Amino acid sequence: MTQARLVRRALNRPAVVVRFFWHLPRNILIAVLKLYRRFISPIYGQVCRFFPSCSAYALEAITVHGAVKGTWYAARRIVRCHPWNAGGLDPVPSPVHVHWDDPSKVPFIVQLNHPDHFLAVQAETQSRPAA
Amino acid sequence: MDFLQTILTPFEWLVSMIMVLFHDGLTYIGLPAASGVTWTLSIIGLVLVIRGALIPVFVKQIKAQRGMQALQPDMKKLQAKYKGKTDQLSRQAMAQEQMGLYKEHGTNPFSACLPMLIQMPFFFSLFRVLSGVAKANASGKGIGAMSPDQVAQFDHATIFGAPLSAAFLPQLQGGDLSVAVVVLSLIMIIAMIASQFITQKQIMSKNMSEEAMQGPFMKQQKMMLYVLPLVFGIGGVNFPIGVLIYWTTTNIWTMGQQFFVIRRMPTPGSPAYKEYQKRREAKGLPLLGASKKAVVAEVEELPAPKLQRNQPQRKNRKKK
Repeated sequence: MTQARLVRRALNRPAVVVRFFWHLPRNILIAVLKLYRRFISPIYGQVCRFFPSCSAYALEAITVHGAVKGTWYAARRIVRCHPWNAGGLDPVPSPVHVHWDDPSKVPFIVQLNHPDHFLAVQAETQSRPAA
Repeated sequence: MDFLQTILTPFEWLVSMIMVLFHDGLTYIGLPAASGVTWTLSIIGLVLVIRGALIPVFVKQIKAQRGMQALQPDMKKLQAKYKGKTDQLSRQAMAQEQMGLYKEHGTNPFSACLPMLIQMPFFFSLFRVLSGVAKANASGKGIGAMSPDQVAQFDHATIFGAPLSAAFLPQLQGGDLSVAVVVLSLIMIIAMIASQFITQKQIMSKNMSEEAMQGPFMKQQKMMLYVLPLVFGIGGVNFPIGVLIYWTTTNIWTMGQQFFVIRRMPTPGSPAYKEYQKRREAKGLPLLGASKKAVVAEVEELPAPKLQRNQPQRKNRKKK
């Protein structure tokens, strides 16, 4: 039993290592964006003409789509965010398969950027035990 | 690092170009070419060019803020809808609906991310130009549009005895700290903190609507009032005098701009706006509304209170 588990863990370890390095660029970018949103963004206050704001958009895009595609989406959004654009709602393009049913498994930034959906889910789960 | 270099090279070129142009112009009108004063004025010139180029953006933003009055009724409804809902998701939902409203009315009070982001490479390239001057001079090279001669000039340029390319902390570590650099750095750090304080206090006490005063934005502003001096302090001891001149000047510009906005184009619903309307009333000008139609309506209402005659009062009457 314990031996089998050890073998399995040894087999799993390369996968863990590979996954760590595979996601490293994405996670570095996420950390940088979170630091920006926490410490630098408040200096300027809100300037963005869109919902979600550019940094929230970038954070979701990179979290959901990964470093390469996410950066591409984010760069295109920043170029769009100039004074002569009307602004408004501009959500991150969703990937083909979206699993938004269980909020506990959805990254927080995705929830913040799609408040309508997750408020509805919240209301549903709260009303269920009462029914 | 190389990637950063590639991005910053054109900006470095532009920054050095503008400074060289100002420097040439100032020498032409008789200022000494090698003087630190001339180079300091060139840095200030750079600030004027960058902030001046951003004026159209600023004016557009102010105009959009005037247009905000048209959507006040809708905004009030929205605020009523989310009253008392302070959880993050509800706040986000409100922000989302607010953005939808702006789009619907074709007005947006925010100036967008690009103008803010575009200033960053300029700042970084100025930092790189100033901190690269000593090295480039030693190897006899130019920087961007600056010729080797000008680089040598810049490297030796001093203002009140402090070299423009010298910084507090690096000097301290090098063990050759000069009094002029310390004093000048401290003066500019204090000037930056003071101008920031004044700007933010002005916004918070005068140019925010009552709704915004209670929002999370206010909390953030209050926090920044104490975080920013720290940023200036840390930056101030690390950055060369030249960069501090840039930073201080741009801060003072922001402060001046803010004074102008509060005086002439205040946010609707803020204390400054009420004062502004009072001043207009005193001058007999029509009150500002969202559209011409609203102005006409307000003008018709205006003479009404004057029908009631003020009781004449003795000037030296005792006050209770």
